[in-house]
Amino acid sequence: MNVIELNHVTKRFDQFVAVKDLSFEVRQGTIFGLLGPNGAGKTTSIRMIVNIFAPDEGDVLVMSKHVSPELQSRIGYLPEERGLYKKMKISDQLVFFANLKGVNSGDAARRVDEWLSRLELSDWKNKKPTDLSKGMQQKVQFIASVIHDPDVMILDEPFSGLDPVSVSLLKNVILDLKQRGKTIIFSTHQMEQVEQMCDDICLINHGTQVLIGGLKEVKRRYGKNTVILDYEGPDSFLGDDLVKHHNRFPNYSEILLNDGADAQEVLKRALAAGARVNRFELVEPSLNEIFIESVTGKASSSKGGVSQ
Amino acid sequence: MRKVLIIIKREYLVRVRTRAFMIGTIISPLLMLALITLPIFFATRGGGDRRVTVLDQTGDPDMFAAIKRSLEARGEGDDELNRRDPGVGRTNYTLAQRVVAPSEDLQAVELQYQQQAAQDPNLTYLVLRPGSAEPLEVEYFAKNTSDFSIGTLERAINDAVSTLRLKRAGLNTAQIAAYTKRIEMKRNKITSSGGVEEGGRADFVVAFIMLFFIYMTVLIYGLAVMRGVIEEKQSRIVEVLVSSVRPTQMMLGKVIGIGMVALTQVGVWALSALVLTTFGVSVFASRGLTMPNVPISLLIYFVVYFVLGYFLFATLYALVGATVSSEDEAQQAQIPVTILLVVPMMIFNMIMANPTSNASIALSMIPFFAPTLMMMRIAVVNPPLWQILLSMLIMAASILGCVWVAARIYRVGILMYGKRPSIAELGRWLRYS
Repeated sequence: MNVIELNHVTKRFDQFVAVKDLSFEVRQGTIFGLLGPNGAGKTTSIRMIVNIFAPDEGDVLVMSKHVSPELQSRIGYLPEERGLYKKMKISDQLVFFANLKGVNSGDAARRVDEWLSRLELSDWKNKKPTDLSKGMQQKVQFIASVIHDPDVMILDEPFSGLDPVSVSLLKNVILDLKQRGKTIIFSTHQMEQVEQMCDDICLINHGTQVLIGGLKEVKRRYGKNTVILDYEGPDSFLGDDLVKHHNRFPNYSEILLNDGADAQEVLKRALAAGARVNRFELVEPSLNEIFIESVTGKASSSKGGVSQ
Repeated sequence: MRKVLIIIKREYLVRVRTRAFMIGTIISPLLMLALITLPIFFATRGGGDRRVTVLDQTGDPDMFAAIKRSLEARGEGDDELNRRDPGVGRTNYTLAQRVVAPSEDLQAVELQYQQQAAQDPNLTYLVLRPGSAEPLEVEYFAKNTSDFSIGTLERAINDAVSTLRLKRAGLNTAQIAAYTKRIEMKRNKITSSGGVEEGGRADFVVAFIMLFFIYMTVLIYGLAVMRGVIEEKQSRIVEVLVSSVRPTQMMLGKVIGIGMVALTQVGVWALSALVLTTFGVSVFASRGLTMPNVPISLLIYFVVYFVLGYFLFATLYALVGATVSSEDEAQQAQIPVTILLVVPMMIFNMIMANPTSNASIALSMIPFFAPTLMMMRIAVVNPPLWQILLSMLIMAASILGCVWVAARIYRVGILMYGKRPSIAELGRWLRYS
């Protein structure tokens, strides 16, 4: 069942088209990655889903209904740009946000306690945001978006500014929510996180859809055209005839091959040039690479996975 | 509606619980109390005792006696003399005479006193130069020559001298009292219903206090609304809020919530004012003013115009807040709104001078001026009811219009950061769906 559906949605601001003929579906109980460079139209799309903007054309359906103020209480939204009231106690603000979503104060207070202890913030309950670190405020903001136990959650860069411990804590919470059948739209620039967490992805650029589908399927479409090579020595043996794109990391190289180029040829040349090869692996391209290619349009001409 | 109530509750509690509010609400009445009671305290305590030595070279024995009688009689009972010097400190004068013989050198005596007075601040002296009563030259010497009680001294001398002159012209004491009795003009105000009621300078005081009060409170709380909007925008709380609440609800909740804070504060002040009125009466009386008789209807009008005025301006300030990204930008952007509020303060003299002219009537109908100018006209001239109702109607309609415009701008503006929009852009925002 699709919890969220966008059908040929267009949104304009004066002459500027923020979103153009965008369609996608989000299945219940999945994590859906909404990706795209800055200014691609992600936030506008999300704002249409949470009923901040109305689309100029097309339909936005949440649980098969057009979005409405009533549906807002079943959606939890953690915007990328988010804040807290400076002069209000943490618990008071969370109860306030819960109230706005239709949770009565008694229930809200109980849930605030639960969530604060789950995210290890109980000691800060009666403090004001100015006493909290940025990461802690971030966790409080996350609580504000889930305090009303919504069926749908939209998380825009939920991990930015968090330390690794908090990231893993929050990740587990999100995966747990998914286990409980919640549907999550996840928007981020951190492609590793998308690879770890998302079931489906939709990549948009300039307001239009560039890439859509299941994460595995999307990667499969690109085929195993990437060589991971861990070697010592110069990289001059890699000729332009073979390599389309070369990412040199401190410990290894990620080499995106030209169409029809043979991966074995890379290995041969490396050995011939006298490099010591510690690892040679033929893999699907990383999502990071797919993202950059799709967005910059580099070599997009021959890629089957890229829609026009 | 439920969501608006939740927002109202938050806006209200967050502000009422602050230390600034408590201090402002409690300290202000205490300050008022001090302002009212301190003058009473000093007025009733008086300026203490003052010894005045009169260096008298007039050679007229009646002169000193007359001055002494006139001055020492003051402050006792409901005397004609006291009525002219109300409340400015009942200084007790003790006069001593130092007769300077015509053969003596007055200047030498003066010099001697001058040197003494330089050492002793309590020593003051009065010089009556020769030439008898016609013309009499009087000079007063003291370390402090600017306190209020010196006026009393001067009037006492004048009274004494003119009485003495009249006596010498052949009038007896009873005649003098009868001829110099002051008259008092009674002020009567004709109401619009044709009746007559007691009027007075106090009307002006009431009108001005109400005018100023509406101006100050609307300004302070209107700016609080603007700052609240900017705070939510700057800290990006709006982003979270708009997914739960319509921007219009946010705006109304904020305006109403802060308005209730204003009403709470005004209510506390009004109550303390009521308590202080008892003190106030005596102050006004001691200043020679009758305490203004404020009719209940005037207070009701005051509340209605305050609420209407607050709503109109708070909505505009909310609009301004939504179009800017920081308080710095707001400083500039709020000027047009504040000017609308300040204009009545600059032209109220004109209205006060001629409250029934066509210009005054027209100006008091302009919705932005009505809360102050119509309020003032009501306090001063009792304009016909239709004018009052019409101005209220115009205001109510303007508020609806402003709420509509502000809500549409607000909705777009709170999610826009960066460059301040031009007027043309604001116009386009109005048309967004």
